[in-house]
Formats: sequence, structure tokens, C-alpha cells
Amino acid sequence: MKRGLARFLPDTVVARAVSILAGALIAMSLVGYWVYQIGAEGLATAVRDRNLTERIVSIKRAVSAIPDEIERDKAAHALATPSLDVHWSKVELVPDNVPLTLRARTLEARLRSLVPEIGAEFFRVGYADDGAHSEGMEEAHRHMLLVSVRLSDGSWLNFASPTLGAVHTMAEHIPIIAGIIGTLIVLIAILLMRWVTRPLRDLAVAAERFSLDEARAPVSETGPAEVRRAARAFNTMGERVRRLVSERTMALAAVSHDLRTPITRLRLRSELLDDEPTRERIDEDLSEMETMIDATLDYLRMGVVNEVPKTFDIAAMLKTIVDDETDRGQSIRLEGVMHAPIRGKPVAIRRTLWNIIGNALKYGSAAAVLVGLEGDQVLVEVTDEGPGLPTEELERVFEPFYRVEDSRSRQTGGTGLGLTIARAIITDHGGTIALRNRTQGGLEVSIRLPALPTAS
Amino acid sequence: MDVDTTSSPSDHGNILVVDDDAEIRLLVTRFLQRHGYHVHSVGRADTLLETLASFTIDAIILDVMLPGTSGIEACRQVRQVSTVPIILLTARSEEDQRISGLEGGADDYVTKPFSPRELLARLRSVLRRSRGQDRNAARLPQNRIGFDGWMLDTTRRELYTPSGVLIDLSTGEYNLLVAFLEHANRVLSREMLMELAKTRTSDPFDRTIDVQISRVRRKLEAAGNASQIIKTVRGAGYVFVPKVTFG
Repeated sequence: MKRGLARFLPDTVVARAVSILAGALIAMSLVGYWVYQIGAEGLATAVRDRNLTERIVSIKRAVSAIPDEIERDKAAHALATPSLDVHWSKVELVPDNVPLTLRARTLEARLRSLVPEIGAEFFRVGYADDGAHSEGMEEAHRHMLLVSVRLSDGSWLNFASPTLGAVHTMAEHIPIIAGIIGTLIVLIAILLMRWVTRPLRDLAVAAERFSLDEARAPVSETGPAEVRRAARAFNTMGERVRRLVSERTMALAAVSHDLRTPITRLRLRSELLDDEPTRERIDEDLSEMETMIDATLDYLRMGVVNEVPKTFDIAAMLKTIVDDETDRGQSIRLEGVMHAPIRGKPVAIRRTLWNIIGNALKYGSAAAVLVGLEGDQVLVEVTDEGPGLPTEELERVFEPFYRVEDSRSRQTGGTGLGLTIARAIITDHGGTIALRNRTQGGLEVSIRLPALPTAS
Repeated sequence: MDVDTTSSPSDHGNILVVDDDAEIRLLVTRFLQRHGYHVHSVGRADTLLETLASFTIDAIILDVMLPGTSGIEACRQVRQVSTVPIILLTARSEEDQRISGLEGGADDYVTKPFSPRELLARLRSVLRRSRGQDRNAARLPQNRIGFDGWMLDTTRRELYTPSGVLIDLSTGEYNLLVAFLEHANRVLSREMLMELAKTRTSDPFDRTIDVQISRVRRKLEAAGNASQIIKTVRGAGYVFVPKVTFG
């Protein structure tokens, strides 16, 4: 159905925008025309009402000038027109006891304002529908406006008009109704424009969320022609980027895999050496090479890690790491909650925590780890007692291959990728990681991750 | 198919090494011989079953990435005819490989590039276990052990709380828990636990085992399980209280 309709839609953003604009303009013109018509009609009604009222005044004056009663009635008949019926009578058509309804009162005021001369007369106004008529006259005066004017001798001239005061109150509401309709047209136009540009916004969102993850579906190539073209270009570009990255990653993975065999051989060869100090030094070098290969591979695989997400306890994980470091003779303590389940990739998170804690111990000699719940987040704070970092380095250390001056030395080692990988992993989990110099000295790393509600 | 059979003075067992790299085969052979093992080595796994049939083999060290029959496939084939312990050599980044190898019946794994001493420790451990099992008759390999709502997956070495949250364990804590689970409702002395959990130090006055036990306890308690799972028996050791289910 929608597809069938879509065929009749203009194809480009420009064409759609122009048709929405044209539609809105036409609708506004129609409303304008309608308002004008109603206004003109109101004006015509006013003119007609004034004429009729003036005629009522002049007929009354003419008839009251005739003394003879028969002549009076004849004259009244002669002056009658289809729009204004006139009768002379001893009694009034609008009796005294008729309650003055709101519309009768409004009309009376209107007649007075249109024709000030009528103010000099004694008259009553009533709608036949409201029961403003003498008995027995109901049928003849249905839907009519009745005006009874008293002559000086106490007799009455009774007027009945089907048109006088027919439409009058509507005119005041016209601008309000026109305003409402105009607003509606503008709102509909805005909604339509939003609908037309939605594929464009979808594309922008897709571009913002672009990741190397193969599993992510391509942007749907729908919408106006320009957007379809942009979506297609975006998908092609994404495909190229992914292929480029995956080719590089595969090449590096292949190299690193091939390096495993010679490293394994070297490890075996060194084990067969009888020279203990040399053997230990070779082993250290080999470990360093392995670390570098692993870090480079981790960095290249950022966001492409195939680990299955699990619900795991980050507090227990920190406990394992801290216990392990304690066993190695490090000065480190863990505080805070004992159980903090989160959803994520445990191997990736463990590597990140090892890295952060390892850094704290390496540069800060002693470390403290605090784990706690803060709102709907798990907060892990790792503080050390080291010298901290210059303020301008606090953000730069997250850049790939960036190293703080000290860590370039062989003693501290480091690939310059640890924090880059850590941030990529934490961000991938919907969390944040930030560094801060503590006022009491030392560096503080705060990691925030979305918490799971603790099952009690 | 070349099969090198090198004899050695002392004899801790016959080990079959399967790796496509000739140099590694040679080096592993020399290294293991130094430690008193009898070593056969082959470059492919295609004729592994014939090799097993014609020699007495106590353990296999099997590379996963092999030309022809893969290490995983070879592992499955061996398991259909024999319970001989298998140690897999896997790449560090290939977790899937490791899991499917362990599910295929491998006893342990070492990641390449491995440290020779680690390989030796794992080899000793699987040999000790398989010899122990021979004495107690064959026990089926269990990969899911349950207790008090908890679940230990021995293939992945993962512990889950009753509400399904993964609880991280160190190797020492894992080994200790497995030792307790395999000997539930029995009082275990610290010496027995040290032996079962293969802690490095064997000094009976060493407090390490107590530290490990308190760590395991704290992790079990932290996840909201108030009941005492590991009870201290004054002067005798420890006992694992809950009912344990295998399978």
C-alpha cells in the first residue's frame, strides 16, 4: 500500500520540499480566501441590516404621519417588501411579557449602533423562534426577526424580516478559526518536512554510530533520490573502511601468528641453555616481544573482539586481580562493595583492569582500588601514590602510541597502547574512563560502567 | 610419516608430540627428554590413531593448527578410542579453538608461544590426574558441577552464582574449589588440599592454603549466599557442605 503510494510521490528532496511548500501555500490561500469571503459577507450583512433598520425608522415616520387608521395599514402594506413585512396594528407583535433573550438583546444593541436614530423610538425586538410573538401568529412568523415600534398614539407598527440579523456573531470568531487552521497547516508542513528529511537524519545517526563491527546492518537505502545516493555512498564507504581495516588486521594477525613459532622456538632453545642469567634475560626479552605483539593485536582488534557478553561480577574480578598483585608482593588494597554485577565481555574488561592497576603500581608504587555503585553505574576508582601527570597529558595519554616521557625508558616499558585499548573497551561497554590528578597527590583513574540491578 | 623414537635413561612416561614445525618438535623432544620423558613426535595428525595403536602413549601434546586433520578433529578421534591425556597447543587469541578443543575431550591447553616450564607443569599435572584416575577406575569427565544453586563449568573454568552471574576465580581458587567439589562432605586436611589443588609450596606450615580458602569463601559469600559452604573443622581441616551434582 505504502509502496504503491510512494510511486506517486516526487522522488527528490527538492521536489518533495517544493510540493509541501506549494501545498501549504495553496492551503493558506484557501483559508485566506475563505476568511475574506466570510468578512465580506459580514460586511454585506451589516449593510443590509443597516438598510433594513433605516427603512424601519423611515416607515415608522411615514406611517405615523398618516392619521387615518385604514390608510395607515394600507401604507404599511404598500411599504412592505419580501425582506421586510410591515403591518399596522393596535397590538404589538412582540409582547411586553416576552423574556428578552441574549440574541434579541444583542441584536437590539446592534440595531442601535448601526442606526442611531432608532434610539429615539420605543421598540421591542424578538425572534419568533424564541416565542416573541402574539398568540396565533406562530406559524406565520417562524424563523423571523420581529420588531415592534410604538407610534405616538399607542398603536404599533410590526415588522417581520427573514433576513435581518441573520448572520452576525460568527464574524468575530473568523480570525481565531483562521489562525487555528493556519497553525495546523504550518504544523502539518513541519511534520511532512521532518518525514521527508528523516532518511537524512537516519543516515546521520548511522554515520555517528559507525563501527567496524561486521554484524551492524547497512543503512537502508530508502527515501528521496539524494538520500538514497548518500546512503549507498555511505554503505560503500563503510564496506571499504571495514575491508581495509580487516585486511590490515589479518595481515598483522598473520605476522604475529608467524612470530609465535620463532618465539616458541627461542623459548625452548633458551630453556636448553645452561647459562642461567642469559636464559633469564632472553626470557624477559621474549616476554616483552609477546606483550608488544598482543597489545598491537588488541589495538587492531578494538571493536572487533568476538567475545560473547556475559553477566559477571566486576567486584570479584577486581578481588582476583588485587589478591594476585598482593601475592606478588605489591602494596595494593581493595575497598567498597563485594558484589557488583555488570553485563559485558569479561576477558576484555579483565585486561583493561589489569592494565590500569598495573600502571598504578608501576608509576605509583602503591595503589588503592575502590569499587562502588553510583546511581545506575558501577564506579571503579584506581588511585596511586605516584607523581601524577601534567594536566595537559591527562587526555593525551589516551591517544594511540602516545607515551609519557618517563615510560619511554626501557625500565618501565609500555607500548603506548594500553590506555587507548582501555578506553576503546570501556566505551564499547557504554562506560567512561577519565584521569584526574588528586589534590592530595597521585593519579586517579575513574571507570564508570552501566550497572545491573543487584539480585538480592 | 616419520616417527622419531628417542630413548632416555629415566622413564617418566611416553609422550607423543604432534606439531607441524620440525624445529619445535625437535626442541620439545629434547626439553622433555631432559626431564626424563620418552618422546615420540609426528608432524601431522592424519595417522595419529595408528601411532597410538602401535606405541604405548601416556600423554599427547597436540598442536591445534595442523595441515590435514586439525588438532581439534584429532582430539575427537582419539577420545573415541582412548582416555589418554591430551594437552592442546593453541594461539592465545583463539578462545573458540580452546573451548572446542576442551569440549572435544582435551584435558588442558597451553597457549603459544608457551613457556616450556609451564608445558612441563601441565604435563605433570595431567599425568598425575590420569594415573590417579586409573587407580580409582575411570571417572567420566564432568563439565558442569552444581552445588547450592551455583554452577561450575569446568570446560570454560567459569563459576556462576545462583542468579547466573559469572564470578571470577584465580587459577589457585579454581583448583581449590574443584578439589572441594570432587571431595564434598569429606574433611580435607590442609596437606591434602595443597596436594589436590597443586599449590606450588608444599610447606605444611605455609598459610597460603588458608588464605586461598578464605578468598574462595569471601567470593561465595559476597554473591549473597549467606549459608556456610566451606566449614572449618577445628584441628582437622575443612569440609565442603552442600550437595554436589555432576553433569
